[in-house]
Amino acid sequence: MVNIISTFCIGLGVVFWLWGTLPLLDIGVAPSGENRSILFKLHSLSVSDTLGSMSIVVGLLFRLSREWPLLLLALFSLAIWNTVLSYVLAYTYCDSGTPSGRLN
Amino acid sequence: MSLLDFSFKLMLWFLLTADSSLVNIAIGVAVALLLPQFGASQHRGTSTFGLLKVWLQMLGRIAIAIPQAYFEAFEMMLNPHNVEEVTVVQGEPRETAGLVFLDIFLITFTPKTIVLNYTTHGQYVVHSVRPRRLS
Repeated sequence: MVNIISTFCIGLGVVFWLWGTLPLLDIGVAPSGENRSILFKLHSLSVSDTLGSMSIVVGLLFRLSREWPLLLLALFSLAIWNTVLSYVLAYTYCDSGTPSGRLN
Repeated sequence: MSLLDFSFKLMLWFLLTADSSLVNIAIGVAVALLLPQFGASQHRGTSTFGLLKVWLQMLGRIAIAIPQAYFEAFEMMLNPHNVEEVTVVQGEPRETAGLVFLDIFLITFTPKTIVLNYTTHGQYVVHSVRPRRLS
């Protein structure tokens, strides 16, 4: 039972990883044919990097419960640093030009 | 010395070492006391109790934000969110820099919204995606 939950969490994380990184390749995702903005990619990257990785670590937590302190620390670090990094990237992107002009 | 700050450092220490022996607890307490305090200069004279209440509310909001983030991820996967927009959201006035950080964290953590900037008037510039159909 624990193995099934664990495999489900890890599988979900892998699906999130693949789905979130697909827009980076610019394969026909934008309807207008233009490349997606960095900010749009950041939205899907937060799905893969933060939520996908967290899901994988939770899956590992079920499987390797004796290592819970380190895995919990990894979970906190993933949540905080990935989120802050996407804020910092978004902030610097806006700093380098007018974002609203580029988006519409 | 803020109690919250101290317990946060101690918690990180115990998670890192995963050792509950007396010696390790002593080292952890010493390290937590010796490290400089986070954001000490921003404190504007609120009582510890009042601050504790706000932080507990924040913990509740984090507990809500995690399932919400996964829900939004599924929404984005099932229904393409092609429209991007920038909005300005008026945030609540915050006492410390740590609370502003948590506000930005909570908005950016959910995949549909990312904070671009925080103005001095307490406003968050938020970039978000939504499906085309609603427009």
